[in-house]
Amino acid sequence: MAEIGRVRIRIPSSIKAGEIVRARVLVIHPMEIVQRKDGKPVDKNYQFINRVVVTYQDKEIAQFETTQSISENPFFTFAFKATEPGVLRVTFLDTHGGKYEGTADIKFS
Amino acid sequence: MDRRMMDTGTTRRTVLRAIGALSVAGLVGPLGVPRAARAQGNLANLGPEEPVDVTMKRLFAGRPIKDGSSAITIDLPLIAENGAVVPISVDVNAPMTPQSYVKAIYIVSDKNRRPLNAKFTLTPAAGQAFVGTNLRLGESTDVRAVVEMSDGTLLQAKREVKVTVGGCGG
Repeated sequence: MAEIGRVRIRIPSSIKAGEIVRARVLVIHPMEIVQRKDGKPVDKNYQFINRVVVTYQDKEIAQFETTQSISENPFFTFAFKATEPGVLRVTFLDTHGGKYEGTADIKFS
Repeated sequence: MDRRMMDTGTTRRTVLRAIGALSVAGLVGPLGVPRAARAQGNLANLGPEEPVDVTMKRLFAGRPIKDGSSAITIDLPLIAENGAVVPISVDVNAPMTPQSYVKAIYIVSDKNRRPLNAKFTLTPAAGQAFVGTNLRLGESTDVRAVVEMSDGTLLQAKREVKVTVGGCGG
């Protein structure tokens, strides 16, 4: 599998000022699921993403709290209002302290 | 917080479990998880395994939930062949202005062992209350989207999905 933590953000190729834009973001991550032994969950330090922070022009616009019931290689779509050119940044945090970040430049055409 | 709970005679396990529940509820961030819990495994920090009505009670504390099926559109396949990856998107037809906006969208799968899939916290800057992701579903289940508005109103919509092969491993 590709390396853990690679983030890909896709935005429409042309964005107009003031438009509401839908962005799609994907991160390569195993999102470990709880293992069970004799019908009981095994207590171990599972690695999965439990928080996603979306910022635009360094202002937080959304935050997602995720659990293990999100698929491997989590994928999210969300909307934001492109008011000014700036950077859209999506940060993924996992339970092992991993921090994975992806950015997209918002430019108007 | 820890000290207060210790004083009331609760055990370490219940404290950890409470912290886990809080972090799901968004009161304590992932960074608020104490080191000791990590060394031992983080099972206690996950949402507890529980039936869906317990989850709903824990999240919303019995607040009235209105039917929001006219405002909430859930896009979900009728039949999911692979429960490990079930695409869903939730679109709420509601204004996103600083006065009135969608504060949070919860995705809950009724029959998953840990029913809460995800909580999406939004701000008016999002412009539109729309989120999408891929879910893991253990079996055929109702999936509900609960929307919390900025004034505290709760709306809910439900959709059923048939899952051919469960996606939760064991």
